[in-house]
Amino acid sequence: MLFLQGAPPTNPVSAVLNSAEWIFPTCEIFHIVGFGIAIGTIAVVDLSLLGLGFKQKAATRLRKDTALWTLTALVVVLTAGFVLFLTSPLHYLYNSAFQLKMTTLFLAIIFNYTVHRKVASSEIVSPGAGILVGAASLALWLTVVASGLFIAFVPEAGGY
Amino acid sequence: MVYEFMHWLAQRDWAMDFAGSAWFYPAVLATHLCCIAAFGGMILVTNLRLLGWGLTDFSISDVVGKLRPWKRLGAVIMLTAGFLLGGSEADKYYPNPYFWTKMALLILIAIHGLAFRPSVYLNTAALDRAPVPPARAKLAAALSLILWIGVVCMGRLIGYYEGPVSAKQAAPASSSQQVASGIIPQ
Repeated sequence: MLFLQGAPPTNPVSAVLNSAEWIFPTCEIFHIVGFGIAIGTIAVVDLSLLGLGFKQKAATRLRKDTALWTLTALVVVLTAGFVLFLTSPLHYLYNSAFQLKMTTLFLAIIFNYTVHRKVASSEIVSPGAGILVGAASLALWLTVVASGLFIAFVPEAGGY
Repeated sequence: MVYEFMHWLAQRDWAMDFAGSAWFYPAVLATHLCCIAAFGGMILVTNLRLLGWGLTDFSISDVVGKLRPWKRLGAVIMLTAGFLLGGSEADKYYPNPYFWTKMALLILIAIHGLAFRPSVYLNTAALDRAPVPPARAKLAAALSLILWIGVVCMGRLIGYYEGPVSAKQAAPASSSQQVASGIIPQ
């Protein structure tokens, strides 16, 4: 990861990504539309687990029917996000909102493909477990989105 | 008239306090963005079902009917946050073409909703009885997806507009413009 060291635009990757002004907003748009699809489809399952909208029992079929959309969009979001990160790696690494975002993102992905999958895929969900898992999933993903927004608003640290 | 109103709006005490607040402004912006995550999927899921591309385990009536109240709640939160964000900086947004494109797309979305209401959104039982999804349902879904993605794109680009004066200063004239204006001799 040596090439990431040094404040932008001294590393060659950042220099290329910052060379055209359309690259950053284009990645942002893919990032936003992508999370609308990825988190949006997860949220539909979460609300169903909470018994809001669809019935709790529908969560299994909802998750199955949206899984491919969620995964595809997640790949797009993560790819676009990584390019955004590479435009100025140190600026992000030292940003407290970014650190919170990466932590909750990691937890949210693990949670989604372990506990959330298991609970949403089992036919016999106890209402309490469904509510707990749906609420935790929503809280994790919305924290990821909100802390992402705050990256641009927390005070700059370390002069990057 | 529009400019006078937008200027007046941005000069209100609440607007100036809001636009200058260190936490409230980004918190409302974060809420606006969270609504994309929480409610955007509902629009997608509804349209996928109308297109027949997904959620075929559920009837169209089920998908449209069950999600309708939540989409309405999402719209109320989204529009409230959007009004605070846009209203507090209305005079800055006045010359912004992305802002006006976004507003135009939102008006088109309202027209779309009204236009397809009788034949699609309030007619789901008949759509479910049809052997193949009718073309008008697919048209409604495709248009809805295009319009909403357009709204998100324009929403993001609003932040990139630098104003008529500073944009000219920021963007160096292309060499052909410089030739045309005599800066570079032909």
